[in-house]
Order: sequence, then structure tokens, then C-alpha cells
Amino acid sequence: MSGGDAPDQDGEMVAQLQRGEAVGVEALYDKYGRLAYSLAYRILMERTAAEDVVQEAFLAMWRNARTFNAARGNLRNWLLSIVHNRAIDRVRGSTRIRKESQIETMERLIEVPDAWETVSAHLERKQILEGFALLPDAQRRTLELSYFGGYTHMEIAGEMGVPLGTVKGRMRMGLEKMRTFLQARGVTV
Amino acid sequence: MTTLSCAQAEDLLGANALDALTPQEARDVQEHLRGCVEHRQVAQELAQTVSLLALAVDEREPAPDLRDRILASIQSASSEPVHKPVLGPVVVPIRRAPRLPRWAPRPAVAALAAGVLLALGIGTYAGYRLGQESSRAVAYQFAGSSLAPGARANLVYLRDKHQAVVAVSGLQPLASGQVYEMWLVKKSGQAVDQGVTAASDGRITAQMTADLSQFKQFAITIESGERPAPTTPPVLAGSLTGAGA
Repeated sequence: MSGGDAPDQDGEMVAQLQRGEAVGVEALYDKYGRLAYSLAYRILMERTAAEDVVQEAFLAMWRNARTFNAARGNLRNWLLSIVHNRAIDRVRGSTRIRKESQIETMERLIEVPDAWETVSAHLERKQILEGFALLPDAQRRTLELSYFGGYTHMEIAGEMGVPLGTVKGRMRMGLEKMRTFLQARGVTV
Repeated sequence: MTTLSCAQAEDLLGANALDALTPQEARDVQEHLRGCVEHRQVAQELAQTVSLLALAVDEREPAPDLRDRILASIQSASSEPVHKPVLGPVVVPIRRAPRLPRWAPRPAVAALAAGVLLALGIGTYAGYRLGQESSRAVAYQFAGSSLAPGARANLVYLRDKHQAVVAVSGLQPLASGQVYEMWLVKKSGQAVDQGVTAASDGRITAQMTADLSQFKQFAITIESGERPAPTTPPVLAGSLTGAGA
């Protein structure tokens, strides 16, 4: 349900949203709502806040559907970018929310679901998790602190006790390794 | 504003893609990208990679009512009533309804449906009770699509009986051989036929027996005879949000 289907099949949803039809929001939620919530929860680690962010994101998409341009990205990524931005805004606006549990490493995610293997629609995620697993620990932790934790490069340098230049390098190298890994496996990047 | 060299910008592109720069650094990088085609390409590629990190999350189930809350917020934000209940689900105590024949445009049935719907209508939904036996009911109003802008439907669903009565008005006369076909659309998207009628006077009154919590939408299409699945866009459709307990 949540995000496994090819984003290029979302054309009808886009058309419905752009016509102002609520049924488009329903279809969008049925397809990507769980994924959106999962991302919000991963960042905020708090159920109510994550649901608030997801609700805000869907309302934002409803209000701004006419500005969506499929040539610049797919519907799923647009939704997830809104969820991510709003969740990170909350994290950065409230240090209370930032917990150690939030910066847990990706290994936990990799260990858990071999269910990915049985669902071909989730192959893309499996590749992403594998790509993460293959990153050097320091690069992976740097990306996690930044993307899921909302940390700036300076905050990560302080957190990890390394020079700022090292953090910048780990960010760039980690992303480039991920890109190379995913491209080699046919994941659209 | 600091004008960055290509080497300085190169150093910041990863952090820029992750939105991890200071505001001033971010502005400096954006300024650099405006004039550097090569780094603009790199920045775009890095941003695309970052966007895929969103998929690397452990899946969790949101609260069951989150979908309804989102649709309610959409409803309240929109002045356009098409394709969703005008009032949203209205829960009231109501008497136990007798079983009605399917697609039964008979006066007795129409009167019963009209009575139920009137009682559940705008501004009068509170405290409706006709008998000692009561059940939970949900009422919806739907508007026609652009294919039938004058159409209106009132649907009342009795949750514990898994029965619904729908009254439709404002439909256009059909061409010879055509029928109005009513559908319940599952959450998977599959449409389940609920019967056909000619609706010669532009009105339909009908009863459905189904657990509407398993469906996401009610719809009516114009078909050339009864079809197993819709072949035309709906002349009227609406969300069944709130049909669950």
C-alpha cells in the first residue's frame, strides 16, 4: 500500500487533486499515508506530533496541488518532502523532542524486516537499506543525524567530536556512495 | 553575501543537500549555483539521493482515525462540496429501520427514506428518536459531478444493521437503453455493483445491505445496461468516511 507502487502511476491522483476533488486526497492517503506517517514518526518519535505533521502535509498538498509539476518530481516524493520539512522544523524548533532514541542507527531497521524480500513493490526500499548498510559507520551516522535528526553540520561535528570539514566530507561521500549503489541496481535516483 | 569559489562550494554541496548548512551558507551556495552549471547538476543529483532516504524508514501504522481527520480538515478548508459529504458524518440515535427491497422507488419506501433523511437533515439531526430500539446511524450528502451538477444524494447508513438508504434527486433523463448504476467502491478501488434503475423521473430511492466501513466511496454512473464494473465517470460520487464504528 504505502509507497511501493510506481510513482508514475499517480497521474490520476494528481489530476483529481488539481481538480480539487477530495477523492484525490483519499487515494493519496490510501497509497502513501502509512509511509508519510512512518517518516514523520521516525523523525519526531512521538505519535501525536507525527500525525499532526501528516495532517498538515496532506492539507498543504490539497491547497497547493495546482503548483505540482510532475516534470520536477513525483507525487510521492513531493508528499514526503513536505512531511520531512515540517517534521524537521518541529525538531529544530523544540530541542525537547530531540532524543537519543532519535539518533539510533540504521542497523536496527536493517535487522528487522526481511518482509521486504517478499514484497516486490518494496524492492526500492530494500536497496536503500542495503545501501545504507554498506556505508562506513561514520558516514551513515552522519546522514542519519542530519536527515532524520535535523542536525546541522556544526551540531553533528559537536555530537561526533570531529572537525566540521570531516562532517561535510562524510555527508558528501555518503550521499555519493548511496547514489552509486542505487544507480547500479536500477533504482531511480 | 560571500561569493564562493567552486572549491568552496564543492565542500558544502553535501551539507546543502541535507539542509544542514547555516542560513548564510545556504544563501551563498544558492548564489553560487545560479552561476555554476556543473555544481547545479551535482546539487540536483545529491538532492534526489536525499529524497530517497525518506523510504528508509520502519513502517508504522497511524491511528485508524487519521484518515478521517485529514479528510475532515480538507472538508473544512474547502468551500467546494463536490465529492464529499457536505456536513460530514452525522451520528444520531435512530429507530431500527425495516428491511427495504433493493432499488425500490415505491412511495412507501420513498416516504420512509425521505422521513429518515429529513430527520437527519441539515440542522435537525440532534435527538432524533422514533422508537425504543435505537441504533447508530451516519448521514451523508453528496453533490453531482460536473456531468450532473443538479444531482443531489442523501444517504443514511445504519451501522449495526449494515443497511443504507439512499435518495437521489436531480438526475437527467437517460437515453434509450441506458441505466443509472450504483456502486460501492472498496478501499482497494474495486467497485461493487449495487443495482440499476432508469430513474425516469430523475429520482432514485434505494436500499443497500453492506458493511460500508469496508468501502471508501459511493458512486453512480450511467451505463448501457448493468455492468460488472463502471465504464464511465461517475455522475455522482462521495466519500463514505466515518462509516466505521
